[in-house]
Amino acid sequence: MLSRESQTLRFLLSNEFGLIVLIAIFAGVFSLFTPGFTSPFNQFTLGRTMAIDIMIGFSMMVVIVTGGLNLSVGAIGVCAAIGFGWLVETLGLPLPMALLGALALGATLGTVNGILIVRSGLHSFIITLATMSIFFGVMVFLTHAEAFRIIPPEMSAFGKMRILSYVSPLLLISIAVGVLLTCLYRLTPLGREMLAAGAKAAAAELSGVRIGRTFVICHSLSGVLAAIAATMVVARNGAAIPSMAGGLGQDWLLPAVLGPVLGGTLLTGGRVSVFGTFLGSAFVTTLTNGLLQFRVGEFWLQTWLGGLLLLAVLIDLARRRYLARGGRRMA
Amino acid sequence: MRRSDIVAKAAIAVLGMAALSLPAIAAESTKVALVPGGPHPYFAAWEKAGQDAMKDFKLGAADYRIPQKWELSQQNELLESLLSQGYNAFLVFPGDPVGSNSTVAELTENGAPVIATAGCLKEPTTALFCLGTDTGNSAYLGTKELIKAMGGKGRIAHFSGFLVDPNTQLRIDAVEKAAKETNGAVKVVQVITDIDAPEPAEEKINAYLAAHANEVDGIITTAWIPAVVASNALRKIGDKRIQMVGIDHDEVVLKAIKDGFVHGTMLQNPYGQGYIGSFALDKIRSGCKVKPDAPFKTIALTNRFIDSGTVFAGKDAVDNYVASMQAITKEIFANFASTYLSCP
Repeated sequence: MLSRESQTLRFLLSNEFGLIVLIAIFAGVFSLFTPGFTSPFNQFTLGRTMAIDIMIGFSMMVVIVTGGLNLSVGAIGVCAAIGFGWLVETLGLPLPMALLGALALGATLGTVNGILIVRSGLHSFIITLATMSIFFGVMVFLTHAEAFRIIPPEMSAFGKMRILSYVSPLLLISIAVGVLLTCLYRLTPLGREMLAAGAKAAAAELSGVRIGRTFVICHSLSGVLAAIAATMVVARNGAAIPSMAGGLGQDWLLPAVLGPVLGGTLLTGGRVSVFGTFLGSAFVTTLTNGLLQFRVGEFWLQTWLGGLLLLAVLIDLARRRYLARGGRRMA
Repeated sequence: MRRSDIVAKAAIAVLGMAALSLPAIAAESTKVALVPGGPHPYFAAWEKAGQDAMKDFKLGAADYRIPQKWELSQQNELLESLLSQGYNAFLVFPGDPVGSNSTVAELTENGAPVIATAGCLKEPTTALFCLGTDTGNSAYLGTKELIKAMGGKGRIAHFSGFLVDPNTQLRIDAVEKAAKETNGAVKVVQVITDIDAPEPAEEKINAYLAAHANEVDGIITTAWIPAVVASNALRKIGDKRIQMVGIDHDEVVLKAIKDGFVHGTMLQNPYGQGYIGSFALDKIRSGCKVKPDAPFKTIALTNRFIDSGTVFAGKDAVDNYVASMQAITKEIFANFASTYLSCP
């Protein structure tokens, strides 16, 4: 059993603590130097954007756990959003049914990915690159790129709702999903099987884990989470739009990868940090928002974002080295 | 210092912070943000238009702010941020005619009037009206000019913008309409879309002309980048047999007109959109209302459309294109307030 000092040191050395410190530093700087940053409207919109990016990050994270990638998260999200729009506008289904339908569509497309990967034995990168085009192409063919805008008013109202002027309820959904995912990985045999399969598939198989089935479930879960993110975007836009995630859904790829990677989820699989993914996405969204508030030239925004991310990683590295040296001295 | 003084000073500080953190609505002077859907040379004239409007109408600001990419989410985030920064009036090219409505509604709910500019929002919308080029009419007039230059007969290729842009279909229909009016003498043999970006435009236009240049007599382009790429392609081919009418005022197109490789271009009026739009927003903020019975045009997306003007510029007018745009702006501006606004 670890001593209290060791536990504290371990926490101080963690990605999560580093991200908390960095978010606090940058939020402090933005609050001091840009008057609009702390305004209720900005905090509300920041939380709303953050909620969507976190959910997109989760949808990639659950596949990264297996050592794979899901490049079709955006395409699945767009399909789920359009499916939702079709269910409410064309079929006239009630909101809860349409939401379930969208999640089911996301799960189905994720399952298709999983089955193709397991059956073909190819890397998920190849398969999901192909299905990204297929899913998006079929959606555009069926809808002729037309948006669905007659969605229930309560859905749009939910996207605009403010709790205590500052908080978007979408953020609460992301927090709730984060808690559920943490429970999945920490408390359930299925979650532990996912981690074991991602860490060393052969060893996990010898201990009785059904690798293929586990991988398919991970991709199904990714599809569901992408669909949740998509319905959040629908609530935010008040419409289901084919271009909501860019061509082929590619606009979602950056937030999908940044959150988990910054948060400490291993690209090689076997290790996950739900809280880290949450913080990683929150950090990037906060940086982007703050830079917009700073009015850095539009074409410099990406450069500044990249520079600050690099700076943040270096600060974090220095912090860990410093603490690790301290830890060794204590030992 | 007495305790009551400390409390009073703390209260003032808190109130001061709160005042600073309020969005722009409380600001007195009009601060206009001119926000395109993403980086595109068409909108460059908005910057000068904003600066001129700020000077002429004594605005607090009229700043041209560009989302870093053509992404609806990026534009939404920029608009939300600008509201927090104190901008209280917006000229917006909608990133999506449907999807931008929600953000526009949030801006107006926070007291900032919005005019959809250079592109319209689908009704119902809380934007005051749409100020832009009547794209269908511009394409129709351009095709008529092209047909005239072709001697009233021949085969036309049409190079246009993104299919997700609702203007594209209007342009395709308008070119087809002008061709049909020749009773079969002119035929549109090829329509290439989704090429309003350098890479796809270079690839598709050059490939098409390499294979079929001998089979076409005229080219009409109805988007900025295809116009530039097609002008360059005709210069490279060096054959002035193919007539072409372009769009907008890129230097490449204007030079090709001067050198005889392109017959002319359909000028739009982005400067006028920025200038008149900023003026209208300031008027609205100072108490004017949009006349419900104003003579708006109806187009596919909206029944509150104001044409910002379009004009053909051939070889003889190409040197004076700035004057042509300013003349259109002056003409629209002269009667704008009395035609569209009712002021106390």
